[in-house]
Amino acid sequence: MTRIGVYVCHCGLNIAGVVDVEKVAAYAKTLPNVVAAKHYTYMCSEPGQRLIQEDIKTHKLDRIVIATCSPRMHEDTFRRAVAEAGLNPYLTEIVNLREHVSWAHTHEPEKATEKAKALVRMGVARAELLEPLEKRKVNVEKNVLVVGGGIAGIQASLDLANAGFKVYLVEKAPSIGGRMAQLDKTFPTLDCSACILTPKMVDVAKHRNITLLTNAEVTAVNGFVGNYDVSILKKPRYIDEKKCVGCEICTKVCPVKVPDNFNENLAQKRAVYIYSAHAVPRIAIISPEHCLRLRYDKDVCGKCQTACEAKAVNFKQKPETTQVKVGGIVVAVGSEVFDAARMAELGYGRFKNVISNMEFERISDASGPTNGKIQSPRDGKTPKTIAFIQCVGSRDKRFHEYCCRVGCMVTLKQAILAREKIHDNVRIYVCYIDLRAFGKGYDEFYRRAREMDIDFVASIPSEIHEAPDRSLYFDVYDKGTNKLLQVHADMVVLGTGLVPNSDLAKISALFHASRSADGFLLEAHPKLRPLESAMAGVFLAGACQGPKDIPDTVAQASGAAAKAIDLLSSGEIELEPLKAVVDKDLCSGCRICESICPFVAIEMKSETVQGEKKLRAEVIEGMCQGCGACSSACPTSAIKIQQYNNKQVLTQVEAALAETCPEGGK
Amino acid sequence: MSLIDLMSMAKPNQESRDKILARLKGKELVNCFQCMKCTSGCTALKLLELKPNEIIKLVNLGFVDELPSSDIIWTCVTCLKCVERCPQKASPYHVIMALRNLAVEKEAKVPEGFLKAVSEILETGLAEPPQKIVTRKMETVDRTCLRLPKIKSPKGSFQAVFMKAMEEK
Repeated sequence: MTRIGVYVCHCGLNIAGVVDVEKVAAYAKTLPNVVAAKHYTYMCSEPGQRLIQEDIKTHKLDRIVIATCSPRMHEDTFRRAVAEAGLNPYLTEIVNLREHVSWAHTHEPEKATEKAKALVRMGVARAELLEPLEKRKVNVEKNVLVVGGGIAGIQASLDLANAGFKVYLVEKAPSIGGRMAQLDKTFPTLDCSACILTPKMVDVAKHRNITLLTNAEVTAVNGFVGNYDVSILKKPRYIDEKKCVGCEICTKVCPVKVPDNFNENLAQKRAVYIYSAHAVPRIAIISPEHCLRLRYDKDVCGKCQTACEAKAVNFKQKPETTQVKVGGIVVAVGSEVFDAARMAELGYGRFKNVISNMEFERISDASGPTNGKIQSPRDGKTPKTIAFIQCVGSRDKRFHEYCCRVGCMVTLKQAILAREKIHDNVRIYVCYIDLRAFGKGYDEFYRRAREMDIDFVASIPSEIHEAPDRSLYFDVYDKGTNKLLQVHADMVVLGTGLVPNSDLAKISALFHASRSADGFLLEAHPKLRPLESAMAGVFLAGACQGPKDIPDTVAQASGAAAKAIDLLSSGEIELEPLKAVVDKDLCSGCRICESICPFVAIEMKSETVQGEKKLRAEVIEGMCQGCGACSSACPTSAIKIQQYNNKQVLTQVEAALAETCPEGGK
Repeated sequence: MSLIDLMSMAKPNQESRDKILARLKGKELVNCFQCMKCTSGCTALKLLELKPNEIIKLVNLGFVDELPSSDIIWTCVTCLKCVERCPQKASPYHVIMALRNLAVEKEAKVPEGFLKAVSEILETGLAEPPQKIVTRKMETVDRTCLRLPKIKSPKGSFQAVFMKAMEEK
């Protein structure tokens, strides 16, 4: 015989405003084996918890049912409270009366109360079958993998390394720096992006706790929280990293010119090149798609090899795979910029002087293709009128529904830069839907732009036309004057937003980090766990989780690093005991569970039983997240989730049907 | 009533508004955030001062009484540019069509050209009758001169089907 206590929470008026909590508590008392049933304003509060703890002692309770909010919210709180009173924490059952009842049936209080009773009945029936479980402790690796070397990855790596953790920073490009390295100035202070980023890049390269792997990609992630095995593929640079001094002699003799993607293809680089003026590491790289020697595999060209005084060119370099063991992973792969050519009406790609805001950054940057002069990258003319058009690809159901969160501020900054660089010789128009200047110092920045005689038109043009002289014009209906205006501009800058990386699907699968509807990586909880993915030990930083500006990215990166430190600093972690277990005698070795497990937590082991070789499933405890997919799929019921075995679930179903079906659901 | 247009003392008409919105399932007008893209690109705007964004806002606020009897709903040339480009898939075209249907229902005055087009379709199956054209040599030619086949008149059953389609809403 068990002794069950039932505790119904009002959650202020969240539950009690709809559900008659007194009735529910009184009903609970009539259920078999229920010794105590009470209701209270806030069960999660200190007096609420004490109420349960005192009852455990006075009534000698051995099972606790708490009818309250979602278990995702306070299950841990209540388990801890129950454990403090000396009971095994897994003898607690949460019944969700808030998300499943009061919030879902706000307008039907009577029916809601009936549903609440039924759920409590099910909870009580299940509580009887709960088994005491113990958490297991496992040792963790004190190393962290950081994926992506943009400002998010750089910040997370530095924080982790300074805290004494060994960091492997993997960057796909030949240099770290990411998107921020391409920017000219940063809002709202207008300090130069390179000036604040480059010192951090150098710190990363010099830090004794950071192993920097550029031109590399993560190819496989195995293991579980605290113990991940990661394979990293280092693609060949065809340059010996130890010998290259970054003198750039090779880039001057190379005869092959290719578009420079760092400069948004507005300039050209050579087939052997240094990624950018501030590249870290400052080591040349040969592009195998463009290099004559590597493409034709013959003894052609080789000019760089002859010219290199350090003898660093090595056409025979091969890809290398490195294996590392890490405890946690920070995913900081960033985002991409919307391809404005998809919005055909704006003429991007068709009209030479319609450019994206990323291209504007490069022409405004002193190390860019125009040496920082604001001029058409195509014909070199200084524009007399610049028009900015906002929300290109964002807030648009045809492309991306979300607000890109940076476009408004980017345009304000670029408009200010244009005014500062061309002074009074340029008219500047900004066509916008809503101007969102929400951050610290951002609205002041907006005022600064207005004071610089920048014209704001709260409307978006439908299409852009090109005149025979290559100048551009568009009609826009101005809300302020109620007039249809025609704007003639010789440069149109499109406020393109941030979009998920094109290879984010691959990354999501690699790290088992799911994605939200907008395509970015999904955080474990939108408010309370914004730095973690749902996969234990995998943290998110920067624009891969959603569009972000630099201050927010840096804040999230430091937060993700702190989360990783929190997880790994003690050297061991506790694993939830709600895992799958295999009944070896029942397992037929059919491998269905192995194929279905989304966390790769099933291993097939062969063993010999009475001279016969048999294949059997085994659960890798650290990787199992207790989702139950295997248990539902197993044809012989050999694999079970602890605390959710068939009997425990079916008892609940029977209890659910007990009052509607005279047979008690049997 | 919580809202009054102080210029005309008009009040919103929730019932008519719901009637219009009911015809627009899946093309939710409420999503309009007044970016003015429709109005900026409207082909008919320059001719007749139709402001598509205003129509949407008026319907959203419930000031719909004047709309079906107004001339402005008939000036849309149905170029569908706003449908193509509306970032919120809430383009004014669909509401204009709904208003036209409502106007016919209310037996409001329909511009002559529309009635002519309908009777033309009913008789010949074509919205526009074949016309004579002038060639580069300045000769006026018609289909017979060009030895093009005669256009068949619609089958007898066509008129019945057409009338039935007109009656269905």
